[in-house]
Amino acid sequence: MTGGLRRAGAWAHRLRPRGLRTRLLVAFVLVTVVGAAAAAWAAAGSAGTALVDGAQERLTGTVADRVAALAPELDYPPDEEGLDRLRAAVGPNTLVTYEDLRSADADAPGPGIGPVRDAVRERDRISVRRITDDGAPKLLIGMPVMLTDTDGARTPSGIEVYTVRDLSGVEGQIDVLTRSAVAASALALPLAVLLALLAARGVLRPVRDLRDTARRLADGDLGARTVPQGADELAALTATVNEMAASLQESMAQMERMRADARRFASDVSHELRTPLSTLTAVVDVLASAADRMEADDRESVELAVTETRRLVALVEELMEVSRFDAGSAALRLEEVDAAEAVRDCLRARGWTDRVAVEADGPVGLLADRRRLDVIVANLVGNALRHGAPPVRVRVAGDGDGGEGTGGGEVRIEVADEGPGLPEDVLPHVFDRFYKGDAARTRTPGSGLGLAIALENARLHGGDLVAENTEGGARFVLRLPRDPGGDRDGGHGVGHPGGHADGPGHGEEER
Amino acid sequence: MRPFLVRVLVPLLAVLLSAGCGLRPTGPADGGRAPTGVAPGVTLYFIGGDGELQPDFRDSGRLGTVSDAVSLLIAGPGPTSGLSTGIAAVSTTRVVVTTGPEVLTVLVPLAMDEVTPQGIDQIVCTALGVHVQSGGAEDTEVRVGFTTGGRESEELRTCPLIG
Repeated sequence: MTGGLRRAGAWAHRLRPRGLRTRLLVAFVLVTVVGAAAAAWAAAGSAGTALVDGAQERLTGTVADRVAALAPELDYPPDEEGLDRLRAAVGPNTLVTYEDLRSADADAPGPGIGPVRDAVRERDRISVRRITDDGAPKLLIGMPVMLTDTDGARTPSGIEVYTVRDLSGVEGQIDVLTRSAVAASALALPLAVLLALLAARGVLRPVRDLRDTARRLADGDLGARTVPQGADELAALTATVNEMAASLQESMAQMERMRADARRFASDVSHELRTPLSTLTAVVDVLASAADRMEADDRESVELAVTETRRLVALVEELMEVSRFDAGSAALRLEEVDAAEAVRDCLRARGWTDRVAVEADGPVGLLADRRRLDVIVANLVGNALRHGAPPVRVRVAGDGDGGEGTGGGEVRIEVADEGPGLPEDVLPHVFDRFYKGDAARTRTPGSGLGLAIALENARLHGGDLVAENTEGGARFVLRLPRDPGGDRDGGHGVGHPGGHADGPGHGEEER
Repeated sequence: MRPFLVRVLVPLLAVLLSAGCGLRPTGPADGGRAPTGVAPGVTLYFIGGDGELQPDFRDSGRLGTVSDAVSLLIAGPGPTSGLSTGIAAVSTTRVVVTTGPEVLTVLVPLAMDEVTPQGIDQIVCTALGVHVQSGGAEDTEVRVGFTTGGRESEELRTCPLIG
């Protein structure tokens, strides 16, 4: 029993609807149909009871009237023939008894008469009992015939009448009633479904609207709002979500303003510094040319001034470069470049050829901005030379269909050293602006912008730059697509502000 | 929702379903007043030696009808009974009785002056007695209609001995 119940519970649990709409629908339909069924059944039940009671009363009354009509004509005490007369008057299926005398027909009530007889003798009143005979409902009626004195005192005469009447007709009427009740309940079903759907729509539409708004907010559309309808809890929720979105939008706008202000400030400062710096550079150059004629102390000061001025100029130029990236005005001038050759050129120009080993399997062609590629390689190699330990190796390799100038595939340029590698806490910040891995050496020649600019340049090409540690030291891996224009979707971060369109790569897009 | 379903709705539905199915057998139930009307004879009312109304049981084997009883009454007490009657002897004893609600109308083949006031009581008591014995109400009133008609024939009477 308990197991069966648990099984039924598990079954119900599996069938338990998940969606809000389904649950609403099921609950609504259940309640409505059960209510309708209960009302219909109750109505049918009471009507049926009234029908049965009426029929029983009618049948009993008829029998009693027939007995009463014949009784004054009956000899008392009755003989066999008197009982037969009484039985004939009552109708078929009748048994009449008087003390030891009996008058019965073939279908007279036999067994089952006991309780009625007891009730008749106990109460001296008519007694009825509903029985089922051969599957059909019957009414067993038993009654005593009373002796009444002239003053109204009643005593049992000893004559008893038992008869059986058929109730099939009433049962048929009740069946009709029951069928109408079932039909009425069934009629309520589609109505309940309709109502439930309407109610569910009324409740769920605001929820769906709210969900859509939340999704748009999550996707970055901070202007998304839902118009609250009505004054219920859902409307309150909608209003709250709207407030949240408004506050978020305001914060984002403020942050964007502040960032724009900061960028503009950096850009303005760089520009403002450029003019006095070029003057300063010219003055320092003049001083440097005159240094040979100076005392040793003075010459040292002048050389320091020259070095620091050049660092300042380099810093301002890098700041301006960063500002251009931030403003999105960095232009990409694509041309056919052999990466291996570009790397060698870069090393040669800076006098690093003998300190850096270049590994390349022949020429590796790609479309790139030659100057920017040079900036990246110079930064990575310079970084390795400054902070790592020799030997510094640059490996250039291409994959995909490595033919000259064709699209697809990418070029890898790895710069590795055999130094101590990058500390774990530095690794995530190595491309941050003005981040210096070694706090003690803030006075190193690097500006702190070099790797940031290198990463921006890589992204401008639609490529990427990552730093990692190997067993033997630090390694920077630059990946550039062979054709930035043909691999536009694969690009990261900063877009291509129209720079490549005037490059030689334009014709390659037809392939 | 599920506990509610299991605990309430299922038993409710079960009860409703069982309640709607056919006519179930019952135990013995009361069916009203039993019929009456058998009697070993009929009771007539005559006047006794002391001048009072007195019942006279006639062993006729059955109760019979009201008109039978009144006819028997008009026929007289007989010479051996020692009873007298307030009703004059007439040749016809045909009596017509109509039973209405609360009123029993007895039309007798007698003129008003052929019956003494005690004779009227004899008729009323006899009629009412049989009426009660056949199951009628005891507070039924009796209207005795005479061949002469008039106000006396409209009067509603009761028996001083019954009801």
